[in-house]
Amino acid sequence: MRRLRNLDPASLVWIALVAVLLLLVAFPMAKLLLVSLHTRSGAFTFGNYLAAYGRARYVDSLVNSLLLASETAAISTVFAVPMAWAVSRTDIPGKAAIWATVLGAFILPPYLGAIGWILLAGPNSGVINQVWRFATGATDPLVNVYTFHGLACVMAFQSFPLIFIFVKSALDLVSSEMEDAANILGANTWVATWKVTLPLVWPSIVGGAIVVFLESVALFGTPAIIGIPARINTATTQLWQFFEYPVRVEVAAAYAMPLLLIALVAIGAQRLMLHRRGFVSQTGKGGERRPIVLGHWRWLAIGYCGFVAAVAVAMPALVLAEASFARAWGRGLSPSNLTLANYRFLLFEHETALATIWNTIWFSAASASFAVVLALLVAYIVARKLVRFAGALAFLATAPFVIPGIVMAIGFYASFAAPPFSLYGTAAIVVLAFTARFLPIAYANAAAAMGTLHPEMEEAGRILGLSRLGTIRRITIPLLKRSLLGGWLIVFIVATRELSAAIFLVGPKTRTMAVLLYDLSEAGNFEVLAALGGILLLVTMALVGIGMKLLGRDFMLRRA
Amino acid sequence: MPILTKRHFLAGATGSILLPRATQAADLAPHEQALYDAAKKEGELTWYSGQLQAETGEAVGKAFTARYPGIKVNVVRSTSQVAYQRLSQDMQAGVALCDMFSSTDYGHYNLLKREGKLLPYRPKNADGMIPAARDPDPDHMFQVFYIGLYLLAYNTKLVAEADAPKSWKDLLDPRWKGKLAVGHPGYSGAIGVMGVVLSKLYGWSYFDALEKNKPQIGRSADDPVTLMNAGERAVGMGVSLAAPLLSQSRGNPLKIVYPTDGTLAVYSPSAIPKNAPHPNVAKLFMEFAAGPGYAEATRPFFIMPLRPEASPPDGARPFAEVKTIQATPAEIEDGVPDIKEKWRDTFGV
Repeated sequence: MRRLRNLDPASLVWIALVAVLLLLVAFPMAKLLLVSLHTRSGAFTFGNYLAAYGRARYVDSLVNSLLLASETAAISTVFAVPMAWAVSRTDIPGKAAIWATVLGAFILPPYLGAIGWILLAGPNSGVINQVWRFATGATDPLVNVYTFHGLACVMAFQSFPLIFIFVKSALDLVSSEMEDAANILGANTWVATWKVTLPLVWPSIVGGAIVVFLESVALFGTPAIIGIPARINTATTQLWQFFEYPVRVEVAAAYAMPLLLIALVAIGAQRLMLHRRGFVSQTGKGGERRPIVLGHWRWLAIGYCGFVAAVAVAMPALVLAEASFARAWGRGLSPSNLTLANYRFLLFEHETALATIWNTIWFSAASASFAVVLALLVAYIVARKLVRFAGALAFLATAPFVIPGIVMAIGFYASFAAPPFSLYGTAAIVVLAFTARFLPIAYANAAAAMGTLHPEMEEAGRILGLSRLGTIRRITIPLLKRSLLGGWLIVFIVATRELSAAIFLVGPKTRTMAVLLYDLSEAGNFEVLAALGGILLLVTMALVGIGMKLLGRDFMLRRA
Repeated sequence: MPILTKRHFLAGATGSILLPRATQAADLAPHEQALYDAAKKEGELTWYSGQLQAETGEAVGKAFTARYPGIKVNVVRSTSQVAYQRLSQDMQAGVALCDMFSSTDYGHYNLLKREGKLLPYRPKNADGMIPAARDPDPDHMFQVFYIGLYLLAYNTKLVAEADAPKSWKDLLDPRWKGKLAVGHPGYSGAIGVMGVVLSKLYGWSYFDALEKNKPQIGRSADDPVTLMNAGERAVGMGVSLAAPLLSQSRGNPLKIVYPTDGTLAVYSPSAIPKNAPHPNVAKLFMEFAAGPGYAEATRPFFIMPLRPEASPPDGARPFAEVKTIQATPAEIEDGVPDIKEKWRDTFGV
C-alpha cells in the first residue's frame, strides 16, 4: 500500500500512456493476427491464408506491389537527393521556389496528382501527347500513364518530398570541414561530394527510401485510379476485393500479414545495412558550412529542380485547375468551355460536400492534437528516463510506422467496429486511426525536440518548487512550442490527404474529402473531382500559410 | 420480377390514359401526409445509391426536400458493388447507418431478403407506375424505381456515324483495337449484369475476343463517358443511357447507339434495411420515388421515367420501341459473382 501511495504521478501517466498505446497500436494488430487465424465462427484455422494466397492472381498482386514500391522508391531517391544536396550544400538560386515545390508535392493528395497525370499523360488525349503529336506528327504517344512505369512515376512524384526532407536535414549537419579534408587530400568537389558528403548521409537516404517504399506498398488511391485501367492489380486493390461481398475480414487479415512482415524486414534490412558504421557528423564543435559555388553548373541544377517542380507540382496542378473550370476537360481552353458549375455543384448543390470538408479539417486537427500530446508525453518520459522500460513506450509510439495504412484500417475495423466498442461509422474511429497512424511522425518530431532541451532548465523549475507536471506545463511546453506546432502541422497535412486508413472506417456521415474524391472518381467525373481537389488544396494551403507565418517556411525541418 | 416485355410497356402506355394524374406538389395525399408527419421527426435520409450519378442523386435529394421541407437527403453515391460492400460492412459491424439501398444488382436484394434484412413496404404511389415496375416482389421487400438501359456510345469526332458500331458483336471487330472503354463488374452492378447477359447470348468467348481489342477498363459503367468526352477512347461499351445523353446536352461530341442485338435492361431495385435509422423517411422516399416528382426531378438528367404519363427524355426512345435483352433475377444472383471472377481472369484486373 505504501508503495501505491508513494506512486509518482509520472508513473500514473506512464501507466495511462501504456494503456492508450496498447489500445491504439498493439490491440488492433493482435486482433488482426487472431482474426486471420480463425474462422468466422471462431474455430482455429489456417484456411484464411490458403484463401488469401491460394490463387496466382492474389500472389501476383502482392508481387506487383513490391515491384511497384521498389521502383517508386528508386525514382523518388533520384528526384530527391540531388535537390536536397543543391539546396543544402550549394549556392543554387531560388531555394524558396524549390521549397515551394517540395511543400506543394507534399500537400497535393496522391489521388489528385494521379488524376492530374491522367489528364496529362493519357495516351490519346493527354496534354503532353497532344502537344507531342502536334509537334512531331507522330502517331504513337510519347508518354502513357496507364503503364507500370507510368504508375511508378506518378507515385514517385508524390512521395519524393519524404526523402528530400530526410536527406536535406542530414546534409545540413555535415560541416564543410569534412569536404575540405577531402579536398586537401586531392579530391575535387564532385569526388568529395560523391565519396564523403553523400556517404555521410547514407542513413537518411536509405531511411527515406524505406519510408517511401512502405508508403507505396500501402497506397490505395493511385493504384485504384491508374492501376485498374492499366490492368495492374496491387496488394491494396486486392485487399479491397476481400471487402467485397461477402466481406471477408479474416481473409483480408491473412492477406495483410505478409505486408507487416515485409515492413519489418525492410526496417531490419535498414538496420543491417547501417550496422556498425559510423555516421557521426555532428560533434560538439560547431563546424563551418560554406555553400559550394556551382558556377555554370547551376544551370544544370536549376534545370533539374525545375523539371521536378514541373512534373510533380506545376503541371498536374495547372491541368487540374483547368479541368475544375471546364465543362469537358477534353475540349481544352476556350471561353465556351469555361464554367463555375463544378464549384457551384459542390458548394451549393451537393448535400454532403461541405460536410466532408468540415470532417476532413476537424478529424485532421483532432488527430494531430492527440498525436502531438501523446508523442510529447512519451518523448518526455523517454528523454528524462522517468520510468524503467521507457524504451517500450518509444517502441509502441514508433511501431505504426511499419504498419501500412490500409492494414491498420483493417485492424481498426476488426477491433473497434463491432460491439463492445461499436465505433464503426463514428468520427471517433477515424480520429483514433489517424492518431495511431501518424503517431510516429509526431513522436519523431517530439523526440528530436526533447533532445535539444537540456534538463537543467526543468531542474531549476523543480528547485524553485514546481511540480513535475507544472514544470512540463510552464517550462518544457513553452520552450518546445514552435517545434510541436511544426509537428502538428505535418500530421495535419498528411491526415487531410489520407485515404487508405479512412476508406474502410468511414460511414455516410463521416466521409472525408479523400473518400468523397474516391467515390466521385469511380464515375470518372474528373471536372467535379478537380474542383473538389481545388477546394481541399485551398483549405490546406491557407492553414499551411498560417503555419509558415507562425513558424517560418522550413517548419518541416525544424529540429528544435 | 416480371420480365420486361413490350406488352408491359404498352399496357403502361394505355394505362396512362385511364389513370388520373397522381398527387400534385405541395398538396399531399393522406397517406403521404401521415408519413410526412412521422418522417419530420426523423429529419433525414441516408441513401446508398449505385443507380444514379452523383449529380442526379443530389437533384433527387433536393426535389425530395423541396416537396417535404425539413427532411434532408444524404446521398452516398458509389458504384453498386461498393454501395453493397458498405452496407455489408455496416451489417457485419452491427451498425445501422443506411435508410435506403439502391443498386443495379438484383442479386443483392434476393440475398438481403432471404437473410431477413429488409423492411417490407409497398408504396401506394406505385399503383401509378408502369406495370413492369409496379410489384417486383410479392412480399414487398423491395421496389423498382429505376430500369437502367445500358448501350453503346461513341465520340462523333473520332467515329463517323456510318462507321459506328451497331451491335455488341460489332465491338469485336479488330478496328476497335485500343478504342473501347468499359466499366468493371467488381464495381458496377450493371456491368456485372452485362457480363451475365452477353455470355448467355454469345458465351464467355465473347469476352475473350473483346480482350483482344484491349478495352480500357474503369470502374463505373459510366467511366467510358469521361474517356469519350476527352477523346481518350472512341467507343463506350455498356454505358447507361442517361450519362452520354446528359454529356451530349452539355456540348460533348457523343452519340448513343441502341445495339441491334438488344439494349441491356437492368431492373434496379431499392430497399429499406430492416434496421434503418429513419424508416418513416425511407417509406416517404419510396412514395416520392414511385410518384411523379421523381420522374420530374430525374428527367433533366435523362433518366427513363417509370410513370406512364411521363414522356422519355429528349433523344431517347420510349421503352416500347427498344429491343431489350436481360437476365432473370436468379441468373443475376448466380451469375454475377462468377462473372467477376472470370472477368478478373480474362482481363487481369
